[in-house]
Amino acid sequence: MTTSTTARRGSRWGTILRGVPRWLFIVVSALVVLPPVAWILSTSLKLPADTIQFPPKWIPDPFSLANYSGIFTPTNIRFFLNSLVYSCGSIVLALAICIPAAYVATRYRSRRMETVMTGILVLSMVPAIVVFIALYSMFVKTALINTYPFLIVVYAAIICGQTILFIRNFIENIPLEIEEAAAIDGCSRPQILWRIVLPLIRPGIAAIAIFIFVFVWNDYLVGTVLATTQDMKTVQNGIVQYLQTGYGAFWGLFAAFVTVAFIPVLALFSLFQRWFIAGLTSGGVKG
Amino acid sequence: MSTTSLSSRSSVQQPPRPREPAGRRRRRDRTLWLYVTPVCVVFLFVFVGPLFYTAWTALHETTYYQIGKFSGLDSFASLFSDPNLANSIGITVVFSLGAIVIALPAGLLSAIVLNNLHRFKRTVRSLFLLPWLLSQATAGTMWVWFLNPNYGPGSAITEALGFGPSDVFSTTGGALVAVTLITAWWSYPQAMLLFLGALQTVPKELYESLRVDGGGIWRSFVNVTLPYLRNTIVSVVVVLLMLYVQMVTIILVTTRGGPLRATETLSMRVFNQVFQQYNLSGASATAILLFAINVVLTLIALRFRRRETL
Repeated sequence: MTTSTTARRGSRWGTILRGVPRWLFIVVSALVVLPPVAWILSTSLKLPADTIQFPPKWIPDPFSLANYSGIFTPTNIRFFLNSLVYSCGSIVLALAICIPAAYVATRYRSRRMETVMTGILVLSMVPAIVVFIALYSMFVKTALINTYPFLIVVYAAIICGQTILFIRNFIENIPLEIEEAAAIDGCSRPQILWRIVLPLIRPGIAAIAIFIFVFVWNDYLVGTVLATTQDMKTVQNGIVQYLQTGYGAFWGLFAAFVTVAFIPVLALFSLFQRWFIAGLTSGGVKG
Repeated sequence: MSTTSLSSRSSVQQPPRPREPAGRRRRRDRTLWLYVTPVCVVFLFVFVGPLFYTAWTALHETTYYQIGKFSGLDSFASLFSDPNLANSIGITVVFSLGAIVIALPAGLLSAIVLNNLHRFKRTVRSLFLLPWLLSQATAGTMWVWFLNPNYGPGSAITEALGFGPSDVFSTTGGALVAVTLITAWWSYPQAMLLFLGALQTVPKELYESLRVDGGGIWRSFVNVTLPYLRNTIVSVVVVLLMLYVQMVTIILVTTRGGPLRATETLSMRVFNQVFQQYNLSGASATAILLFAINVVLTLIALRFRRRETL
């Protein structure tokens, strides 16, 4: 209250005072958000013996990059490659099946089509764990369980609901007249989709592709349940495995691995911040 | 959120118009379904099939992952007579509501602060978003290391305050509080993003006229912001509730549902029943209960979505 009364006088001090609670909040948030992240960074740059010192030191002394060179074992590289395959595979598959569906669902509305779309939306909100345990027990005895295509299909299915919803919003904003003109010029429906609609929704595709990549890269549960052998696990499994099977002074390696695993997400975020946030706000129920 | 309101506007402007003569329509409809078939096939494989399989296993005896003879509703009877079920439901409620009580105000406040910020907007937004950019596994393990009773700075802080080492994950109450806080910490940016989208639709003139009338920050919040965000708040609550009810990863990497089932939510119970007790039919029964809760939340969400589009 008092800050706003000063502000009404219009003085320079008033505007500065008005900003005080705001910056106070930002500082408090920083104090809540940053310490664990800073602690991981600091740990990753320490010598193994320094990570198990108490009381802990925030500034590594001496700095050491040994942890970063230590994490590039064949197992860990395999984790990264697996996650990359899963992410890229799901992007391709999800886009390939969702764009046509989103297109006809937007342009050829009928009651039956809406029912199908609502069904897809409702199904994609089913708790992941319910589906995963069933998929696991169905396929644990088959050759399907530890294969790239199987996991990619599962990943793609989980994000289909959101992808369709997101792409539909983009297609709705294309003026219908463009497509009508193309149809008069003799374009068939696949041609309209491929030549007219697809180029126009490119920003939407980019946003959702980034979203899918981050979702799959950050997912832990699918890799835990549906990849049962070590050589099919993901980066996130790798992170947790340090805690579950680590012994001795493994904390430095763990911290370095966490940092390296975060780099792709951070890079995408800083390069494509606007698209990134657009994809995120499409309403992620699945975390 | 902003995209939904955008689409609603365009659908209002363009009422559905007849696109082709009725005679050609039926023939064209058939090729139309080809576009939807791939998605439907994937969904049948990943969602519909497993859901039926879950129901099927719940109605049968199972040994490990082999389905035995038909047992009717036995697994549901043992589910509802299990004293741990009430415990699980209670923990799910405490966990979800606890996380919402923290994440919702935190998300709303950060969104308001961010919306009124003119300088350093990108930096502050990145700061607020940071927990959510981390994966759930990272967030969980990161805090485990931070709160490590022997070497973590969390322990150093509590010892400096005279409480002894921060051994939160070994006490029942401490573990539940810690897991709830970590989940809230990780998920509040999602609430923030949804609020941020909605805040941008609030007309600036309303704030200005209120300021002319002599209202302060608090008045503008209660009289302008809150009424405008009422719908968004409901939808954020539903989205977060669904997220928390099906949360497995953060609990799994920090406590695995322990100690003494203190953090075993319904979702975690499903996981443990399958992978620790190898009790598939019991897990399926729990899963169906979880599914039912989720259906209720989904119905609220869908009803809400429709209301917002109209």
